[in-house]
Amino acid sequence: MSERLFVGIDAGSSATKCVVLDERGRLMGKHVSASGFDFAEAAETVLSRSLLEAESERDDVTCCVSTGYGRGRVPLAHRQVTEITCHARGAREWYPQVRSIIDIGGQDTKVIHVNSDGRMAEYRMNSKCAAGTGTFLESIALKLGVPLREIDELAMKCVTDTVINSYCTVFAGTEVIERIKAGQPREDISMGLFRSIASRVVEMLSSRSGPIAVTGGVVAHCRAMVRALEEALETEVLLPPLPQHAGAYGAALIAIGDWEAGKGGRQIGGGDTTISTPLDPPLGRGEAGPHGSVSERFGAK
Amino acid sequence: MQSKATTVQRVEIKAQARLRSLLKDYFVNLDSAATDPARKVAWCTSVGPCEILTAFGFEVFFPENHGAMLGAKKVSHRFVPRAVGVGYSAETCSYMNSDIGAALAGYSPLQEAYGIAGPPKPDVLVYSTNQCREVQDWWYFFGRRHDTPVMGVCPPGHLGEVTEEHIAFVRGRLLALIQQIETRFDLRLDWDRLREVVALSSRASGLWRELLETARSHPSPLTFFDGLIHMAPVIVMRGSQQAVDYYEELLTEMQDRVRDGVAAVPDERFRLYWEGMPVWPKIRELSEKFLNLHAVIAASTYCNSWAFEEYDGGDPLWWMAKTATEIFINRDEQTKEVFLLDMFRRFDIDGAIFHNARTCPNNTNSRFGMAQRLRERHETPVLVIDGDLSDVRFFSTAQTMTNIEAFIEQLEERKR
Repeated sequence: MSERLFVGIDAGSSATKCVVLDERGRLMGKHVSASGFDFAEAAETVLSRSLLEAESERDDVTCCVSTGYGRGRVPLAHRQVTEITCHARGAREWYPQVRSIIDIGGQDTKVIHVNSDGRMAEYRMNSKCAAGTGTFLESIALKLGVPLREIDELAMKCVTDTVINSYCTVFAGTEVIERIKAGQPREDISMGLFRSIASRVVEMLSSRSGPIAVTGGVVAHCRAMVRALEEALETEVLLPPLPQHAGAYGAALIAIGDWEAGKGGRQIGGGDTTISTPLDPPLGRGEAGPHGSVSERFGAK
Repeated sequence: MQSKATTVQRVEIKAQARLRSLLKDYFVNLDSAATDPARKVAWCTSVGPCEILTAFGFEVFFPENHGAMLGAKKVSHRFVPRAVGVGYSAETCSYMNSDIGAALAGYSPLQEAYGIAGPPKPDVLVYSTNQCREVQDWWYFFGRRHDTPVMGVCPPGHLGEVTEEHIAFVRGRLLALIQQIETRFDLRLDWDRLREVVALSSRASGLWRELLETARSHPSPLTFFDGLIHMAPVIVMRGSQQAVDYYEELLTEMQDRVRDGVAAVPDERFRLYWEGMPVWPKIRELSEKFLNLHAVIAASTYCNSWAFEEYDGGDPLWWMAKTATEIFINRDEQTKEVFLLDMFRRFDIDGAIFHNARTCPNNTNSRFGMAQRLRERHETPVLVIDGDLSDVRFFSTAQTMTNIEAFIEQLEERKR
């Protein structure tokens, strides 16, 4: 293929995600892989697999933006943007009306508020603590010797309002053991874990005006997390079609924007890092976002 | 938004070399005073009544400065556990804990920096709780350790308006302190000498204030990080001619920078405010991060803590009582909010960073909603970062750097 492609790579603490878009913002390829020890290697892996899915070559990549904790270790990226800005950008593209974005990642949780004009108004990250993050769940799952998927399935069968109250991953682990000893059903304990995370998220939410979208690996893989958040927030949340890829998607959209603004990228097949002639404005601008509707590109929720 | 890593070169401050020799002289003099039976050493809190001690003829040492040195040396976390082991909570002041722990371990950064064994043995320890109560317990630890008297002043705290009654009360406590010292050491205070010391203290403080005010220029000739380095004389040498001379020289250098348009942060794009304590172990990394983001921290509450009002030549104790009571840290939330807004306006601040220092609640102002109020009522973008003044275990570099970069991205969006 000789189409211009735009790449976003989110080198997260647990997983590295890649999204490849065409210049109209349509999804051409994506991939996710464990970050492992080497962010650069993980970035190469997800890029290669995404390009394979896009039936494209590396030379088709016009511009790449990296994000996530390992954003500085992505060789292809022409610049780095924080995951806070990228998640907000991705979520806003899916849901232009969104006012708050909750991202629950492996290492941290972020709550981002955007103004009605789409600009970031405020954001918060969890403090230096695993409670309220994906790591919390992984740690407890490991302690229980139960796969995370199974904890999610158990949690969805919970019919009580059990919460794990401890404010700390280590103490939460102890609390779980105490509850097991006390004979509490596994379904309740499992749901309690998700509610514990949700209660930490609520602490970070300074505004509840407008729709809330949720992103990140935890909501992508655990329905119970979405349920716990909806219970805690007393409202339905928007779950995008690719929650775990929201940061990479935002990064790829920023890459398109950079190209359009003449701020980065290269000409097809060339090695230039600057642009000689910016492209025409992208086609297909629709009400749902500048690059078309959600369903057109990803399928509805 | 952050481009790929670039390195921006800062312009060195010429007075730096003089500062080094000035501080070396100060510490070597303290060390010799501690071993000379004819001379006496007092320990004093950083915004405490040091002018009285100087006027009595004591050489004055400031343990908080030592705590900051332990932090900047990135060793606090090695010594805090020693203090915790003898009953001091890990969640109380890491200056105090690392200082106590270092003393228990027989370590001091003064050994390497100035070739002296460590803090000079005190003849008296004097505190003021105008900044926090922790200093009182910190001082008592060393009082017991050295079998040395501990004396102090407890001004009324968390004040909105500072009234004549408040000042009169503190003045009375200072007078009582003078009497205690006279009795304990069989000395008589020379009031003319006190006036002279207070005048020098006020002069150094006034020059320091003028120096900080040069950062109102666009571009700013100095940053918060420069302030952290060059503030030492206004704390530890307050009341000396050397401090006055030093700040006259530094002020001239900054005024020259303003005249010549020399920027502390080349291509200054954002002007920030730092609220709360510095993160001493991460000063270099943070300084470089802001430099590369072309963001200058043009003003801070911390550096302003030693910018006192001018002494009019009248009652020196009244001036001391007033300045000690009026300081920012000793005021209520509303007064602090008004102060911050005035600073934001005068320094043309784009956004404010609040440091939530885990072990320093008294010098952390993001715990009662102030950051949110400033954002919502006054539309000032704010960022709260978690960390600590000295104990690096409470600080996540990766998370903080992401927070700071995202804040700059937010400010860029606002400017578009």
